[in-house]
Amino acid sequence: MTDVEERWAAPPANGPTTSNLADILERVLDKGIVIAGDIKIDLLDIELLTIRLRLFVASVETARKAGIDWWETDPALSSKAARNELREENDRLRERVEALESAEEGGPPPSRSPDTAGAGAGT
Amino acid sequence: MTGIDTADGGATGSDATGSDASAERRGTPDAATATYVFAVCRRLDPAVLSGLAGLAAGLPVRGLRVGPLTAVVQHVPAAEFSEDAWQQRLSDRAELERCARAHHEVVSAAAACGPTAPLALATLYRGDERARQALEADTDRFTAVLARIEDHAEWGVKVYLPMPSPTPSATAPAPPLPQGGRVPRGAGRAYLERKRGLHQAREHRHDRALQTAEDIDAALSRLATAARRLRPHSPEMTGEKHRLQILNATYLVTSVCEKRLRDAVAGLRHRTGAEVELSGPWVPYSFVGEV
Repeated sequence: MTDVEERWAAPPANGPTTSNLADILERVLDKGIVIAGDIKIDLLDIELLTIRLRLFVASVETARKAGIDWWETDPALSSKAARNELREENDRLRERVEALESAEEGGPPPSRSPDTAGAGAGT
Repeated sequence: MTGIDTADGGATGSDATGSDASAERRGTPDAATATYVFAVCRRLDPAVLSGLAGLAAGLPVRGLRVGPLTAVVQHVPAAEFSEDAWQQRLSDRAELERCARAHHEVVSAAAACGPTAPLALATLYRGDERARQALEADTDRFTAVLARIEDHAEWGVKVYLPMPSPTPSATAPAPPLPQGGRVPRGAGRAYLERKRGLHQAREHRHDRALQTAEDIDAALSRLATAARRLRPHSPEMTGEKHRLQILNATYLVTSVCEKRLRDAVAGLRHRTGAEVELSGPWVPYSFVGEV
Protein backbone atom coordinates (compact mmCIF):
# COMPACT_ATOMS: atom_id res chain seq x y z
CA MET A 1 0.00 0.00 0.00
CA THR A 2 1.63 3.16 -1.16
CA ASP A 3 -0.08 5.47 1.29
CA VAL A 4 1.32 3.37 4.09
CA GLU A 5 4.80 3.49 2.66
CA GLU A 6 4.50 7.21 2.30
CA ARG A 7 3.30 7.69 5.81
CA TRP A 8 6.21 5.73 7.18
CA ALA A 9 8.76 7.26 4.94
CA ALA A 10 9.72 9.37 7.91
CA PRO A 11 12.49 7.94 10.09
CA PRO A 12 11.14 5.08 12.18
CA ALA A 13 10.12 5.82 15.73
CA ASN A 14 13.42 4.86 17.24
CA GLY A 15 13.95 6.39 20.60
CA PRO A 16 16.48 9.16 20.39
CA THR A 17 20.02 7.87 20.19
CA THR A 18 20.79 9.63 23.44
CA SER A 19 18.04 7.68 25.19
CA ASN A 20 19.15 7.38 28.72
CA LEU A 21 18.36 4.30 30.71
CA ALA A 22 15.77 6.07 32.83
CA ASP A 23 13.78 7.12 29.76
CA ILE A 24 13.84 3.62 28.33
CA LEU A 25 13.07 1.90 31.61
CA GLU A 26 10.11 4.00 32.49
CA ARG A 27 8.58 2.98 29.19
CA VAL A 28 9.77 -0.59 28.77
CA LEU A 29 9.32 -1.72 32.37
CA ASP A 30 6.13 -0.03 33.20
CA LYS A 31 4.25 0.50 29.96
CA GLY A 32 3.27 -1.57 26.98
CA ILE A 33 0.40 -3.99 26.75
CA VAL A 34 0.18 -6.37 29.66
CA ILE A 35 -1.13 -9.80 28.79
CA ALA A 36 -0.83 -12.97 30.80
CA GLY A 37 2.15 -15.05 29.79
CA ASP A 38 2.97 -18.67 30.61
CA ILE A 39 5.79 -17.52 32.79
CA LYS A 40 4.58 -15.21 35.48
CA ILE A 41 6.86 -12.25 35.98
CA ASP A 42 5.44 -9.66 38.26
CA LEU A 43 7.53 -6.64 37.57
CA LEU A 44 6.06 -4.92 40.57
CA ASP A 45 7.48 -7.57 42.87
CA ILE A 46 11.01 -7.08 41.78
CA GLU A 47 13.27 -5.55 44.34
CA LEU A 48 14.60 -2.68 42.32
CA LEU A 49 15.33 -0.54 45.30
CA THR A 50 18.90 -1.65 45.31
CA ILE A 51 19.34 0.12 42.03
CA ARG A 52 17.02 3.02 42.81
CA LEU A 53 14.61 2.17 40.05
CA ARG A 54 11.48 1.83 42.11
CA LEU A 55 10.15 4.97 40.47
CA PHE A 56 9.72 3.24 37.20
CA VAL A 57 7.35 0.59 38.38
CA ALA A 58 4.98 2.98 40.08
CA SER A 59 1.65 3.04 38.33
CA VAL A 60 0.81 6.23 36.57
CA GLU A 61 -2.01 6.90 38.99
CA THR A 62 0.37 6.53 41.89
CA ALA A 63 2.88 8.62 40.06
CA ARG A 64 0.36 11.33 39.50
CA LYS A 65 -0.37 11.49 43.18
CA ALA A 66 3.24 11.09 44.13
CA GLY A 67 4.35 13.39 41.38
CA ILE A 68 3.73 16.37 43.56
CA ASP A 69 6.09 15.26 46.30
CA TRP A 70 9.28 16.01 44.49
CA TRP A 71 10.10 18.94 46.68
CA GLU A 72 10.00 16.74 49.78
CA THR A 73 13.65 15.96 49.33
CA ASP A 74 14.67 19.48 48.46
CA PRO A 75 15.51 21.65 51.46
CA ALA A 76 15.08 24.73 49.30
CA LEU A 77 11.47 23.80 48.61
CA SER A 78 10.36 21.49 51.37
CA SER A 79 8.90 22.84 54.57
CA LYS A 80 9.73 19.54 56.25
CA ALA A 81 13.33 19.80 55.20
CA ALA A 82 13.20 23.44 56.22
CA ARG A 83 11.92 22.49 59.68
CA ASN A 84 14.95 20.29 60.16
CA GLU A 85 17.13 23.16 59.13
CA LEU A 86 15.32 25.40 61.58
CA ARG A 87 15.81 22.93 64.41
CA GLU A 88 19.51 22.75 63.74
CA GLU A 89 19.75 26.49 63.67
CA ASN A 90 17.78 26.69 66.91
CA ASP A 91 20.29 24.41 68.58
CA ARG A 92 23.12 26.57 67.38
CA LEU A 93 21.38 29.71 68.62
CA ARG A 94 20.77 28.20 72.04
CA GLU A 95 24.44 27.47 72.36
CA ARG A 96 25.21 31.00 71.39
CA VAL A 97 22.75 32.45 73.88
CA GLU A 98 24.23 30.35 76.63
CA ALA A 99 27.66 31.46 75.68
CA LEU A 100 26.51 35.09 75.61
CA GLU A 101 24.72 34.98 78.92
CA SER A 102 27.55 33.31 80.70
CA ALA A 103 29.92 35.85 79.17
CA GLU A 104 27.71 38.76 80.32
CA GLU A 105 27.11 37.47 83.83
CA GLY A 106 30.55 36.07 84.18
CA GLY A 107 28.90 33.06 85.79
CA PRO A 108 28.25 29.52 84.73
CA PRO A 109 25.78 29.04 81.88
CA PRO A 110 22.14 28.85 83.07
CA SER A 111 20.51 25.48 83.08
CA ARG A 112 17.59 26.67 80.94
CA SER A 113 18.13 28.95 78.04
CA PRO A 114 15.35 30.92 76.38
CA ASP A 115 14.41 29.89 72.92
CA THR A 116 15.62 32.79 70.87
CA ALA A 117 14.00 31.64 67.70
CA GLY A 118 10.66 31.06 69.37
CA ALA A 119 7.77 33.39 70.07
CA GLY A 120 9.86 35.06 72.75
CA ALA A 121 10.87 37.74 70.30
CA GLY A 122 7.24 38.87 70.42
CA THR A 123 7.14 41.24 67.51
CA MET B 1 9.88 -26.57 32.02
CA THR B 2 7.78 -28.59 29.64
CA GLY B 3 5.18 -27.39 27.26
CA ILE B 4 3.90 -27.48 23.76
CA ASP B 5 6.49 -26.04 21.49
CA THR B 6 5.82 -26.10 17.83
CA ALA B 7 8.68 -27.24 15.71
CA ASP B 8 7.94 -24.92 12.85
CA GLY B 9 9.08 -21.35 13.01
CA GLY B 10 5.44 -20.50 13.42
CA ALA B 11 5.66 -17.85 10.78
CA THR B 12 3.29 -18.18 7.91
CA GLY B 13 2.66 -15.84 5.09
CA SER B 14 4.84 -13.16 3.65
CA ASP B 15 5.62 -11.60 7.01
CA ALA B 16 7.74 -14.52 8.10
CA THR B 17 11.42 -14.05 8.54
CA GLY B 18 11.75 -17.40 6.86
CA SER B 19 14.43 -18.72 9.16
CA ASP B 20 14.31 -22.46 9.31
CA ALA B 21 13.64 -24.30 12.52
CA SER B 22 16.92 -26.15 12.68
CA ALA B 23 18.91 -22.93 12.57
CA GLU B 24 16.66 -21.49 15.23
CA ARG B 25 17.27 -24.19 17.72
CA ARG B 26 20.99 -24.59 17.26
CA GLY B 27 20.69 -28.09 18.66
CA THR B 28 18.46 -27.01 21.52
CA PRO B 29 15.53 -29.38 22.05
CA ASP B 30 12.10 -27.75 21.72
CA ALA B 31 11.18 -28.12 25.35
CA ALA B 32 14.19 -26.01 26.20
CA THR B 33 12.98 -22.90 24.40
CA ALA B 34 10.28 -20.44 25.27
CA THR B 35 8.74 -17.81 22.99
CA TYR B 36 9.34 -14.20 23.95
CA VAL B 37 6.89 -11.68 22.49
CA PHE B 38 8.11 -8.13 21.91
CA ALA B 39 5.21 -6.49 20.13
CA VAL B 40 2.20 -6.88 17.88
CA CYS B 41 1.81 -5.12 14.57
CA ARG B 42 -0.23 -5.38 11.38
CA ARG B 43 2.52 -6.19 8.99
CA LEU B 44 6.21 -6.79 9.24
CA ASP B 45 9.03 -6.67 6.77
CA PRO B 46 11.48 -9.30 8.01
CA ALA B 47 14.34 -7.16 6.74
CA VAL B 48 13.89 -4.67 9.58
CA LEU B 49 14.63 -7.39 12.13
CA SER B 50 17.73 -8.81 10.52
CA GLY B 51 20.81 -8.54 12.64
CA LEU B 52 18.93 -7.77 15.87
CA ALA B 53 20.19 -9.76 18.83
CA GLY B 54 16.97 -9.55 20.80
CA LEU B 55 17.19 -11.22 24.19
CA ALA B 56 19.07 -14.35 23.15
CA ALA B 57 22.07 -14.08 20.91
CA GLY B 58 22.04 -16.49 18.01
CA LEU B 59 18.28 -17.01 17.91
CA PRO B 60 16.54 -14.91 15.28
CA VAL B 61 13.96 -12.26 16.03
CA ARG B 62 11.08 -13.05 13.66
CA GLY B 63 7.43 -12.56 12.81
CA LEU B 64 4.69 -14.91 14.00
CA ARG B 65 1.36 -14.74 12.24
CA VAL B 66 -1.51 -14.29 14.71
CA GLY B 67 -4.79 -14.19 12.82
CA PRO B 68 -4.90 -10.85 10.99
CA LEU B 69 -1.90 -9.52 12.91
CA THR B 70 1.78 -10.31 13.27
CA ALA B 71 3.64 -10.72 16.54
CA VAL B 72 7.34 -9.98 16.82
CA VAL B 73 8.84 -12.93 18.67
CA GLN B 74 12.03 -14.79 19.48
CA HIS B 75 12.82 -18.23 20.84
CA VAL B 76 14.82 -17.93 24.04
CA PRO B 77 16.42 -20.64 26.22
CA ALA B 78 13.67 -21.55 28.69
CA ALA B 79 16.04 -22.17 31.56
CA GLU B 80 17.42 -18.65 31.31
CA PHE B 81 13.96 -17.10 31.24
CA SER B 82 12.22 -18.77 34.14
CA GLU B 83 10.61 -16.67 36.82
CA ASP B 84 13.60 -17.08 39.12
CA ALA B 85 15.99 -16.18 36.35
CA TRP B 86 14.01 -13.00 35.70
CA GLN B 87 14.06 -12.03 39.33
CA GLN B 88 17.83 -12.37 39.23
CA ARG B 89 18.14 -10.60 35.92
CA LEU B 90 16.04 -7.62 36.84
CA SER B 91 17.82 -7.12 40.13
CA ASP B 92 21.10 -6.70 38.31
CA ARG B 93 21.43 -3.25 36.93
CA ALA B 94 23.64 -4.13 33.98
CA GLU B 95 21.46 -7.07 33.01
CA LEU B 96 18.27 -5.05 33.40
CA GLU B 97 19.71 -2.38 31.16
CA ARG B 98 20.71 -4.95 28.54
CA CYS B 99 17.21 -6.47 28.49
CA ALA B 100 15.40 -3.16 28.41
CA ARG B 101 17.57 -1.86 25.59
CA ALA B 102 17.25 -5.09 23.60
CA HIS B 103 13.46 -5.09 23.98
CA HIS B 104 13.33 -1.44 22.98
CA GLU B 105 15.59 -1.96 19.99
CA VAL B 106 13.37 -4.71 18.57
CA VAL B 107 10.14 -2.77 19.21
CA SER B 108 11.57 0.35 17.58
CA ALA B 109 12.83 -1.58 14.55
CA ALA B 110 9.45 -3.23 14.01
CA ALA B 111 7.74 0.17 14.15
CA ALA B 112 9.41 1.10 10.87
CA CYS B 113 6.76 -1.07 9.15
CA GLY B 114 3.72 0.63 10.65
CA PRO B 115 1.86 0.99 13.94
CA THR B 116 3.38 -1.32 16.53
CA ALA B 117 2.05 -2.10 20.00
CA PRO B 118 4.83 -3.00 22.43
CA LEU B 119 4.11 -5.67 25.01
CA ALA B 120 5.33 -5.37 28.57
CA LEU B 121 8.85 -6.57 29.18
CA ALA B 122 9.04 -10.31 29.87
CA THR B 123 5.93 -11.59 28.11
CA LEU B 124 6.79 -15.27 27.56
CA TYR B 125 5.01 -18.40 26.35
CA ARG B 126 5.98 -22.03 26.36
CA GLY B 127 6.12 -22.04 22.59
CA ASP B 128 4.90 -20.36 19.42
CA GLU B 129 1.56 -22.17 19.49
CA ARG B 130 0.81 -21.01 23.03
CA ALA B 131 1.84 -17.48 22.11
CA ARG B 132 -0.42 -17.57 19.07
CA GLN B 133 -3.38 -18.77 21.15
CA ALA B 134 -2.95 -16.18 23.85
CA LEU B 135 -2.43 -13.28 21.45
CA GLU B 136 -5.26 -14.31 19.19
CA ALA B 137 -7.66 -14.18 22.11
CA ASP B 138 -6.81 -10.48 22.40
CA THR B 139 -7.05 -9.67 18.68
CA ASP B 140 -9.77 -7.07 19.13
CA ARG B 141 -7.84 -5.25 21.76
CA PHE B 142 -4.66 -5.18 19.65
CA THR B 143 -6.61 -4.02 16.63
CA ALA B 144 -8.09 -1.14 18.62
CA VAL B 145 -4.69 -0.17 20.02
CA LEU B 146 -3.07 -0.21 16.59
CA ALA B 147 -5.86 1.96 15.19
CA ARG B 148 -5.38 4.40 18.02
CA ILE B 149 -1.63 4.81 17.64
CA GLU B 150 -1.51 4.73 13.86
CA ASP B 151 0.43 7.69 12.53
CA HIS B 152 1.27 8.78 16.07
CA ALA B 153 4.50 8.87 17.99
CA GLU B 154 5.19 9.41 21.66
CA TRP B 155 7.25 12.43 22.74
CA GLY B 156 8.69 12.76 26.21
CA VAL B 157 9.07 16.16 27.84
CA LYS B 158 11.08 16.88 30.94
CA VAL B 159 11.18 20.30 32.50
CA TYR B 160 13.85 21.52 34.91
CA LEU B 161 14.31 24.59 37.03
CA PRO B 162 17.70 25.59 38.35
CA MET B 163 18.28 24.50 41.93
CA PRO B 164 18.54 27.49 44.24
CA SER B 165 21.95 27.61 45.83
CA PRO B 166 21.72 27.10 49.57
CA THR B 167 21.43 30.48 51.28
CA PRO B 168 24.43 31.14 53.46
CA SER B 169 22.30 32.90 56.08
CA ALA B 170 20.29 29.78 56.70
CA THR B 171 23.10 27.32 56.98
CA ALA B 172 26.25 29.20 57.90
CA PRO B 173 27.42 29.01 61.48
CA ALA B 174 26.92 32.15 63.55
CA PRO B 175 29.42 34.90 62.97
CA PRO B 176 31.91 35.43 65.80
CA LEU B 177 30.68 37.67 68.61
CA PRO B 178 31.74 41.29 68.44
CA GLN B 179 34.31 42.56 70.94
CA GLY B 180 32.88 42.60 74.44
CA GLY B 181 30.43 39.82 73.61
CA ARG B 182 27.47 42.18 73.10
CA VAL B 183 24.87 41.45 70.45
CA PRO B 184 23.84 44.52 68.42
CA ARG B 185 20.34 45.82 69.20
CA GLY B 186 17.59 44.55 66.96
CA ALA B 187 19.51 41.46 66.01
CA GLY B 188 16.62 39.18 67.02
CA ARG B 189 14.11 41.02 64.89
CA ALA B 190 16.49 41.12 61.96
CA TYR B 191 17.00 37.41 62.35
CA LEU B 192 13.26 36.72 62.35
CA GLU B 193 12.71 38.89 59.31
CA ARG B 194 15.47 37.09 57.52
CA LYS B 195 13.83 33.75 58.37
CA ARG B 196 10.45 35.02 57.20
CA GLY B 197 11.99 36.24 53.97
CA LEU B 198 13.60 32.88 53.37
CA HIS B 199 10.35 31.10 54.02
CA GLN B 200 8.44 33.37 51.66
CA ALA B 201 11.07 32.95 48.98
CA ARG B 202 10.79 29.19 49.36
CA GLU B 203 7.01 29.28 49.07
CA HIS B 204 7.27 31.53 46.07
CA ARG B 205 9.76 29.24 44.31
CA HIS B 206 7.57 26.27 45.09
CA ASP B 207 4.45 27.93 43.67
CA ARG B 208 6.30 29.12 40.63
CA ALA B 209 7.68 25.65 39.93
CA LEU B 210 4.25 24.08 40.18
CA GLN B 211 2.69 26.78 38.02
CA THR B 212 5.40 26.47 35.36
CA ALA B 213 4.97 22.71 35.21
CA GLU B 214 1.20 23.01 34.88
CA ASP B 215 1.43 25.73 32.21
CA ILE B 216 3.83 23.74 30.09
CA ASP B 217 1.81 20.55 30.42
CA ALA B 218 -1.40 22.38 29.50
CA ALA B 219 0.17 24.02 26.44
CA LEU B 220 1.62 20.76 25.11
CA SER B 221 -1.50 18.73 25.91
CA ARG B 222 -3.41 20.97 23.52
CA LEU B 223 -1.24 19.68 20.66
CA ALA B 224 -1.51 16.04 21.67
CA THR B 225 -4.06 13.31 21.12
CA ALA B 226 -3.36 12.10 24.65
CA ALA B 227 -1.01 13.02 27.49
CA ARG B 228 0.35 11.19 30.51
CA ARG B 229 2.24 12.44 33.52
CA LEU B 230 5.17 10.31 34.57
CA ARG B 231 6.80 10.53 37.94
CA PRO B 232 9.48 13.20 38.00
CA HIS B 233 12.99 11.94 38.60
CA SER B 234 14.34 13.07 41.93
CA PRO B 235 17.77 14.68 42.13
CA GLU B 236 19.17 11.47 43.61
CA MET B 237 17.99 9.63 40.51
CA THR B 238 19.28 12.12 38.01
CA GLY B 239 22.42 12.73 40.03
CA GLU B 240 22.06 16.40 39.17
CA LYS B 241 22.49 18.92 41.92
CA HIS B 242 22.16 22.06 39.87
CA ARG B 243 18.65 21.55 38.54
CA LEU B 244 15.36 20.10 39.67
CA GLN B 245 12.95 18.20 37.48
CA ILE B 246 9.49 19.69 37.88
CA LEU B 247 7.67 17.90 35.08
CA ASN B 248 8.05 14.50 33.45
CA ALA B 249 5.29 14.04 30.92
CA THR B 250 4.74 12.23 27.68
CA TYR B 251 2.47 13.02 24.76
CA LEU B 252 0.88 11.07 21.93
CA VAL B 253 1.28 13.28 18.89
CA THR B 254 0.39 12.82 15.22
CA SER B 255 3.12 13.25 12.64
CA VAL B 256 1.23 16.32 11.43
CA CYS B 257 1.56 18.00 14.83
CA GLU B 258 5.20 17.11 15.37
CA LYS B 259 6.56 20.40 14.10
CA ARG B 260 4.03 22.35 16.14
CA LEU B 261 5.14 20.44 19.20
CA ARG B 262 8.78 21.26 18.57
CA ASP B 263 7.92 24.92 18.04
CA ALA B 264 5.82 24.98 21.18
CA VAL B 265 8.68 23.51 23.20
CA ALA B 266 11.06 26.15 21.84
CA GLY B 267 8.52 28.88 22.67
CA LEU B 268 8.00 27.59 26.20
CA ARG B 269 11.73 27.47 26.82
CA HIS B 270 11.93 31.08 25.85
CA ARG B 271 8.83 32.18 27.75
CA THR B 272 9.33 30.36 31.03
CA GLY B 273 13.11 30.33 31.24
CA ALA B 274 12.85 26.69 32.27
CA GLU B 275 14.92 23.97 30.66
CA VAL B 276 12.53 21.94 28.53
CA GLU B 277 13.91 18.69 27.12
CA LEU B 278 12.14 16.85 24.34
CA SER B 279 12.81 13.19 23.58
CA GLY B 280 11.36 11.18 20.77
CA PRO B 281 9.90 9.97 18.60
CA TRP B 282 9.16 6.90 20.74
CA VAL B 283 6.96 3.98 19.84
CA PRO B 284 3.85 4.90 21.87
CA TYR B 285 4.65 2.70 24.88
CA SER B 286 2.73 4.92 27.25
CA PHE B 287 -0.48 4.88 25.22
CA VAL B 288 -1.14 1.24 24.43
CA GLY B 289 -2.12 -0.08 27.83
CA GLU B 290 -5.39 1.75 28.22
CA VAL B 291 -7.51 0.63 25.26
